[in-house]
Amino acid sequence: MNEVNDQTEKMFHPASKAKIRNNSHYRRMRSIKLGITYSILIIVAIYAVFPIYYVVLMSLSVYTTLAVVSVSGLLPSLGTLTSANYYNLLYHEPFAGWLGMTLMLTGISTLSGVAISITSGIALSRMHVPGKRIILYMLLIITMFPMTIMIIPLYFMFHQLGLIHYYGLIVPYSAGAIIFSSWLIKNYVDAIPRDFEEAAQMDGYTASGALFKVLIPMSRPVIALSVLLAFLGPYTDFALADIFISHANHYTLAIGLYYASQGTITINYSVYAAFSVLMGLPIFLLFLAFQKYIVSGFSLATYK
Amino acid sequence: METKTEKISRNGGIWKGYIYLLPILIVLITLDFYPIAYAVYISLTNFGLFHFFSFSYVGLANYSLVFRTGLLTTLLIHTVIFSVGSILVMVPFGLGMAVIMNQRELRGKYIFRTMFLFPWAFPAFVTILIWKGMLDYNLGIINKILAYVSISPVNWLGTGNLAMLSLILVNLWLSFPYYTFVYTSALQSVPQELYDAAEMDGYGALSRLTRIVFPLLRRQIAFISIFGFITAWNNFYLPYLLTYGGPGVSTQTLPIYTYIDAFANVQFAIGSALSIISILILAIAVIIINHYSKMMTILY
Repeated sequence: MNEVNDQTEKMFHPASKAKIRNNSHYRRMRSIKLGITYSILIIVAIYAVFPIYYVVLMSLSVYTTLAVVSVSGLLPSLGTLTSANYYNLLYHEPFAGWLGMTLMLTGISTLSGVAISITSGIALSRMHVPGKRIILYMLLIITMFPMTIMIIPLYFMFHQLGLIHYYGLIVPYSAGAIIFSSWLIKNYVDAIPRDFEEAAQMDGYTASGALFKVLIPMSRPVIALSVLLAFLGPYTDFALADIFISHANHYTLAIGLYYASQGTITINYSVYAAFSVLMGLPIFLLFLAFQKYIVSGFSLATYK
Repeated sequence: METKTEKISRNGGIWKGYIYLLPILIVLITLDFYPIAYAVYISLTNFGLFHFFSFSYVGLANYSLVFRTGLLTTLLIHTVIFSVGSILVMVPFGLGMAVIMNQRELRGKYIFRTMFLFPWAFPAFVTILIWKGMLDYNLGIINKILAYVSISPVNWLGTGNLAMLSLILVNLWLSFPYYTFVYTSALQSVPQELYDAAEMDGYGALSRLTRIVFPLLRRQIAFISIFGFITAWNNFYLPYLLTYGGPGVSTQTLPIYTYIDAFANVQFAIGSALSIISILILAIAVIIINHYSKMMTILY
């Protein structure tokens, strides 16, 4: 058995395949193909990275306006690099206050949103609920709806309740991620064998106790993804925040960045770039750290 | 399977599941269904700047207004060009990149993977505004690079057709990582032996793709494309931040016009009517596409 495996492996190994068809034509074709592949990959990589590289470079440069940026300035030289833009942003602009406002809002809504998503995801996967299929269809249909249809009625509902201000945003923000995250967690939990919670039940846990004690630790990857998604929604929301928040002290980073882009984009681009980097970089690093979960989580959501 | 489910739920009775589902049901009803019904109601009134405090029922007047004035046609054309155009570049691009990335003999795959993650990992809200600065006619770096290689500057965001093209290209930048990664994981679900067997049988790289991989992944490709179409149709931030519907009305799509009309022009009723129409069209399109792609599965 092993020998057969060895043989097939040898046969399909690229090196031995090259030996099978060891003629110069084949080799030339192969190197041309690899050359084309690498050129495409490098061009696409530049396309992918350039805007981020550009904004990081701008945020570290002494140029202040977009007008003085030149093509030769795209290669950094030590003389033009500075951290002054970050210093200015953190100590002089209202950035710190906006960051605090954003983190409080996103923190509360992420916690409540993910808690609800976990209980609903597990219940939808494991519990016998009459009408479960209808609920699942509803969840799927709601994810297809554009958020702009919700904004007009939400505005008036919250207006009647007197909740058109900063704190009123907690409710729609918490709700924002619940639908998709519950769907994700439900699909993930579906793939976990039931033996685990049955074993826990044997050990004396109650039925629902066993479910949560066993399944929450086992679905850590999808919960991490839900946390990231629940955080990202309010963190980068502009459409709702702009109509809910009127007081500049309560601005979130997204509103601040938007209005900065309207005003200072040509006047003080370096500080604006530093703002963009400070807002984007934490998400970027989190995303890279969780990339395995994110890619598999999204694949799971789209195939089911 | 069913007996196991019942065994677990027997302890708590049939209603126990609803206790756990109560929060999400409340959210669904109060923050999703009620607002949608409310939007339908607003769309049947004359609620807006001129009738802010005493509005009344006007039937389908708003709907016939947007049909009659040609507003809906204009918005629909833009939305269709944007979403179909996005899909037409994103799906082949993502599939192509996935096929390239799936080659076994490729070195440095990890480096390329990480670089391709950049557009996905940086919040779109931030990067769209970065693109806006880069595409600026007078000051943007793209025109400066073009000038460097002696190409005259292009008014990316100031000319109607080019503004739409910019939207689609920035959308490609924003979403090609997603398509590349999702298609890559779909490709990896095809057993390696199939590729090898086909190669031994003398299939070239292209016919291996068209004869083996694509037929196998037909359903995934269809599903991901439908998902992408919905996302593009509903895309709010990209047109809102990059062009704000401009120049003139040449990139006004349904989602952003709904928002601008409601909150900048204070025309809540017309905005609601437009968003209801948008949903209806989207639902019909999805049903048709889904029906068609399922039919393909059976016919194959």
